[in-house]
Amino acid sequence: MILEIVLMWAALTFYTAATAMYGVGVTFEKDLLTRRAVYASAAGVVFQAASLGVRWERLGHGPYLGFYEVASLLVFCVAALLVVVAWRNPRLSAAGIAVMPVAVLLLGGSMLASKAGLPVTAKLASYWLFIHVAFANLAFAAFAVSFGCAIAYVIRERSKSGKWVKRFEKLPAQDVLENSTVRFVLVGFLFWAIMIATGAIWANEAWGRYWSWDPIETWSLIVWIIYAVYLHVRFTLKWHGERLAWFAIVAMPLALFALIGIPLAFNTPHAGIGGLGKDL
Amino acid sequence: MIGAAWRRLVRFLGSAVLATSLLVVVALWSVLGSLVPQGAASAAAVKTWALANPILEMLVGALGLHQAFASSLFLACVGLLGLSTALCAWQRTKVAIGKARTLRQAVLSDRASLTQSHDLEIVCDAAITGPEALAVASETFAHLGIKTKHRDDMLAAVSPAWTVWGSPVFHWALLALILVLMGGNLFRSQGLMGVAVDQTKADTPESYGTYHAGPLRGWLSASRGIRVDSFEPHYLSGGIDRGPTPTVSVLDAAGKVIMTQRVYPNMTLKSGSLTIYPDSFGLAVALSAVDSSGVETGRGILLVDFSAEATTATLPIEHLDLPDSAGNPVYRVEATVPLDIKGLVVSKRVPAVPTARLVLSSPDGTRLGTRIVGVGQLIELPGLGSRLRLDSVGYYARLSVVDDWSIPLLYAGLLAAMVGLTATAAVRQQIVLATVIEGPDGVKLAVKMRLWRNASSSRSEIENELTRALSGAEKGSTT
Repeated sequence: MILEIVLMWAALTFYTAATAMYGVGVTFEKDLLTRRAVYASAAGVVFQAASLGVRWERLGHGPYLGFYEVASLLVFCVAALLVVVAWRNPRLSAAGIAVMPVAVLLLGGSMLASKAGLPVTAKLASYWLFIHVAFANLAFAAFAVSFGCAIAYVIRERSKSGKWVKRFEKLPAQDVLENSTVRFVLVGFLFWAIMIATGAIWANEAWGRYWSWDPIETWSLIVWIIYAVYLHVRFTLKWHGERLAWFAIVAMPLALFALIGIPLAFNTPHAGIGGLGKDL
Repeated sequence: MIGAAWRRLVRFLGSAVLATSLLVVVALWSVLGSLVPQGAASAAAVKTWALANPILEMLVGALGLHQAFASSLFLACVGLLGLSTALCAWQRTKVAIGKARTLRQAVLSDRASLTQSHDLEIVCDAAITGPEALAVASETFAHLGIKTKHRDDMLAAVSPAWTVWGSPVFHWALLALILVLMGGNLFRSQGLMGVAVDQTKADTPESYGTYHAGPLRGWLSASRGIRVDSFEPHYLSGGIDRGPTPTVSVLDAAGKVIMTQRVYPNMTLKSGSLTIYPDSFGLAVALSAVDSSGVETGRGILLVDFSAEATTATLPIEHLDLPDSAGNPVYRVEATVPLDIKGLVVSKRVPAVPTARLVLSSPDGTRLGTRIVGVGQLIELPGLGSRLRLDSVGYYARLSVVDDWSIPLLYAGLLAAMVGLTATAAVRQQIVLATVIEGPDGVKLAVKMRLWRNASSSRSEIENELTRALSGAEKGSTT
């Protein structure tokens, strides 16, 4: 238990350092620092993977249950995706200035929650749990990166002649940045859809009903519809520019609320991935 | 006139603005629906909320938000969304046909056709030859994430024709899902059925405690029975306590067993369109009537639920009417079971020495007497010339029984939607063709581009990068 906590604190330290490095690197045009922020994020990912792995080994199940595990896994997916994106396309590294603070706040919050292991109950003992939760995390990670791209877009758009243009000059052109935002939204939309579909199938297997308008189900659908609206306004109503970016910025916290906030705010038998150990 | 109005209506129903507006309305309605308790006006949670929020309740009640997802307004929006999706899918299909044709033509295009028809021309530096320009362009495209192939003095990156079908497939699958969901609910039946161990109940509405059926359910009703063969209060499998687990059989009309299995969470019994899931459990009191000579004249089972409030920790959920020889009810019998107490906790199990507390009433409800009897003991039934015997106290399983033929179709629709969406989200739809035009003015790179979806770069970026690489300037001449 102590080892996994120590490793998680190490991950949080690296993420916090990466957040500061992204902030300073982008603000003061220190490219080297921005590049090193990616390495710091990668180090955080490695430590977090080790922590989650140790916990998995100790408890005998993946990080699916309770706020600590769920929030940790979300952060892991977000940070890992950011590192992969920055690795493959270094021009998008600056998106970390918006993505990493979200990861740090979420992981910091989870470190305050109970770290006690929760047992896998009969209703959770299904391979659908792994698929369902995995796609929830992947979807949120994609939405978080789209959020980061959209923030970078808005900052640069708002200071076309200011210093921020130079600070973000290493980023791709605005239209490419916008396309990246849309692509991550599209990928997140797909993963979110798979999460809903696998959840419905699992609910049918576990409870004998595929949909019951439980608050978590309802809010998952709401988030999916919101991103469907985003894609419609982008592809059919041809929205572009800042208002499209603002749409992506506003939508991401709703996805986070659906994953983490709903099980806390609503009395739902469906503990969801953000549940505080409620028995499913 | 009618034709024009029809076309206007179709255009309106298929418009992106309507589709988007409907999505927004459904999302907002769902948000409101999630904020108030859902259920009938008589439901405890709804009553409590209404008492706590009397002013809001007027609005919520008027809008039908307590049954938000079954309200006419919501269903009308979903229906309209289905219609809009159908028209949208049709439009996307037409677009996809056109794009697929363009992609096939692009595959067949040659240098001559590209020289004649292209989107932009980039004037190359005087020192660059034609083959060098192509090599530089190829590198630049690769840098921008576009892998081109050399073909007859051309660079080509053309997506296969199937890549354009993702969005139409997704939209048609969505429409199919909406239709299957709506159609499935018309024929679906769902209810809770209490079945004691060794008891068989016919799968008819009368056998259910609570039962909901779609308006067209009668068209698909099948004759079959449901039996509980055994019950394990704790069933351990794979190192996990699966909880109270009944073994359930489904029987055909002739009483032949079609299927038998233990049912527990994530292990529902599926037989055709039938799905059986264990909801909860309780106790079953088996009684029989015997005449003065000790011959059994009738049997009955009374189901009993556990209750934290009741004095015996159990509550009767049904009663038995005992008639005289003319068939007129004389007695009403209800049963509860005194439970064992271990420490300070009531054990929700069949007691070690089972007894039943039988309450005899007249048909109008007047209580006539109460007796606690053990297994095999008898109580007199004055006026009937017979006695009532407690045969056994065992378990019953309350089964959630769903009969829905649409579930396999639903899964197929979900799969098709995911395949379509994956193609839409992950597969590139693009045409990038480039060749060199050598003339008296020098070498120019002619580029044709269609970056429909998921392209790694944009038109402006490609133009900028090519111009920078080939002419050293920020932007080339475009046609």
